[in-house]
Amino acid sequence: MRIRTVALLFTLFGMLAALSLIYAQNAPEASEKGKQVYENSCAHCHGIEGRGDGSAAENLLPKPRDFTRGLYKIRSTETGQLPTDQDLFDIITEGMPGSSMPPWETALSANDRWEVVAYIKTFYDGFKEAETPPKQINLSGKVSYSEQSVETGKALYIELGCVECHGDVGRGDGTSAPDLTDEWGFQSWPANLTQSWNFRGGSDTEDIFKRFIGGLAGSAMPAFEGDSFPGFGLTAEESSRMIELDNKDEMTEAEEDESAQLYEKYDAAVDIALNLAEGTELSADEQKIYDDAMRVVYEKSWHLANYVKSLSPEKRPESAIGNNVLRSQYVGGELPPMDDAAWEILEASYFPLVGQVVIEPRQFNPTIDAVNVKSFYNDTEVAFLFTWDDRTHTTDETDEETGKTLEDALAVQFPVKVPQGPTAPKPYFLWGGRLPVYLWHWKASAPEQVTELTAKGINNAEVQEAQGALKSQGTYTDGQYKLWVKRALKTDDKKDLQLESGVFVPIAFSAWDGANGDVDTKRVMTSWYTFVLEPVPSSKRFIYPPLIALLSVGFLFGLRAFVLRRNSEETNN
Amino acid sequence: MKSYLLASLTVLLACCFVGTTFAADSGSGEKEMLVFPEAYKPMKVNNGGTISGVVKFEGDVPEKKALEITKDKQVCGADEKFDESLVVGEGNALKNTIVYLIDISAGKELDKKAKTEIDQKGCKFTPHVQIVPVGARLTMLNSDKIMHNVHIFGNNPVNKPQPKTRRKMALKAVKEAEGPVSVKCDIHGWMSAWIAYVPHPYFAVTNEKGEFTLEDVPAGEYKLGYWHEACGTNSKTPVTVTVEAGGTVTQDFTLKLK
Repeated sequence: MRIRTVALLFTLFGMLAALSLIYAQNAPEASEKGKQVYENSCAHCHGIEGRGDGSAAENLLPKPRDFTRGLYKIRSTETGQLPTDQDLFDIITEGMPGSSMPPWETALSANDRWEVVAYIKTFYDGFKEAETPPKQINLSGKVSYSEQSVETGKALYIELGCVECHGDVGRGDGTSAPDLTDEWGFQSWPANLTQSWNFRGGSDTEDIFKRFIGGLAGSAMPAFEGDSFPGFGLTAEESSRMIELDNKDEMTEAEEDESAQLYEKYDAAVDIALNLAEGTELSADEQKIYDDAMRVVYEKSWHLANYVKSLSPEKRPESAIGNNVLRSQYVGGELPPMDDAAWEILEASYFPLVGQVVIEPRQFNPTIDAVNVKSFYNDTEVAFLFTWDDRTHTTDETDEETGKTLEDALAVQFPVKVPQGPTAPKPYFLWGGRLPVYLWHWKASAPEQVTELTAKGINNAEVQEAQGALKSQGTYTDGQYKLWVKRALKTDDKKDLQLESGVFVPIAFSAWDGANGDVDTKRVMTSWYTFVLEPVPSSKRFIYPPLIALLSVGFLFGLRAFVLRRNSEETNN
Repeated sequence: MKSYLLASLTVLLACCFVGTTFAADSGSGEKEMLVFPEAYKPMKVNNGGTISGVVKFEGDVPEKKALEITKDKQVCGADEKFDESLVVGEGNALKNTIVYLIDISAGKELDKKAKTEIDQKGCKFTPHVQIVPVGARLTMLNSDKIMHNVHIFGNNPVNKPQPKTRRKMALKAVKEAEGPVSVKCDIHGWMSAWIAYVPHPYFAVTNEKGEFTLEDVPAGEYKLGYWHEACGTNSKTPVTVTVEAGGTVTQDFTLKLK
């Protein structure tokens, strides 16, 4: 009897435990262990109480998440819903590209990560109070990638107003971009959609779809829920007809009736969506109208996701390291001007930029991803084409704190003297030191001018006396700078670097985004990379090898003739 | 390995750059909010009293700040627009002040069918301060033929595009009293308004003459509170008023910048 009771109790406990697991979805109950892991690994940024106010938070942008509001950007759930445990676990595991949140996949065991998920949830009561699991976004109707889908998506990108923030071609340079703030009032830049490797929540089409439908809670990115679509409840044809009629300056009576009818249908569907959101039960007819409307919305959203996917290369370009050096290609005759089609045939070398964090003031929150470089040279000159994305065109803004002028700029750095051999020391990468560097400094306020500098340190640069060796042209279009620079290979100035074909030359870059507060040492930069004027394929290779071959054949024939003659002479003898 | 390094690096950075304690202007906590009664019981009010008065501004009136219209100038920039965080009229009348009863526990029924609207016209929210009864739908009007993005902060956040085709967009009714919370349009960053979701009907917003009126107040003693965007609240030091059946009490306020 006793044993039975014990067994029964155990079973009950077991069931309770199982139930609690179901309710907790995946994460265990919050434990001392979770608290410990959190305080060791997360609290520095997110704060002991989860308010996003850890000791390092001051220097970070985007700011670390405040967990007490229950607002999470990266969710698989619909707008207004909490994230799933799996969502939280995935973010901890994979980190958030382009922000300061690193991936914890190897630094914390899976078990520890689950413990942290459970602990983070204790900062917001809404998790405990939720009676039903959060509603996930339905991914079942995926439209596969095709050129046609991308085209449809492109039209929606304009129709839905994505351009306002993300810009005409998606570089995050929309007219509203500079004014965006997050829930806490901090600057919040819209994503550059051409750099999917910086997407916070991943770059798969599904990820893009989820961000679009669910929004990024706490940021300026809204949720494009069903009824946010113009013409919700109408078929695709009907909604384009509705917009077409809207855009007419004058409508005939028949057209006015038609428009009114379409609007009536639209309003009815919107009402149904609102009732549903408030928890009203729908009739079968209403449910059908709603389901049909959502089918159209979801299909459109997949097209949009496919379009956004199409804006970035398959993966982040390889950075120009190792053998992947910047090679200037030889051309006979004139070097191509800035907009010449000749540049298209070259593949750009990609130089990722990182914030300068060695010397105060530092840049912890870079906004420029990389600079892309192409180069051509001929017998006397070299030309470069630099491109880099910057969401704003800043030429003359004043920094409120320091009173300094903020503007966009780029600097290209070379040693004054090329180190002899691969082990010879290079100047210090932060604009030199004992060994000086030679710099080209371009500013957005004077796009036709590049200043030559000599520097012996990041705060120790001098404008060279002799200027004018460089010709340049700079433009800013659709969130991208393009800078074309030309110089003679050899100059008379001893402070200039002299260039020679086939010699490997260290090269480095600095860039400033004025709108991000970049000025002086606060900037993004690279360390040393390598640049070479790719030696001209020698014309001698078309002469000597055939000549040698010809001579060899001639010699062999000669030998044969000689041997034959001798043989015949011997026979004759 | 690479992610381990990254993780360690972040923690290292965190340790290296311990700055001054960072105090973000977080959505809750520090902000000055309205005070709501713990419970409110609707009842029929016979022969209630009236509380009315005028709110005035004291101090040097700052010069009107023109808003910088950075885009959609044809629609948004037709007339000059000014920052509405402090609107002082003739005789120092202070517009957009919420005046309300802090501690009322029973009174007339809250009108959940009330038509509460905020219009987006010429890229400006009108009114600048709107009272929304809990359980009522707030309707956002779009009188501009361009897209707006309705972004409401607080515990019931809304971040929802309103395409030009949506002339009226009713929002889901909020179930809990809260506020005032900020309303923004992310597309037109200068647009700003405030919403208070209230649990009882004794709330008023001052007009351009600084006037307010609370009607049908059951006889009794009440704490009278105010809230103003730039001048703050008197939540900690409310004024006590005594309302007599059928009578009228006058209570004026003079507010300074906080």
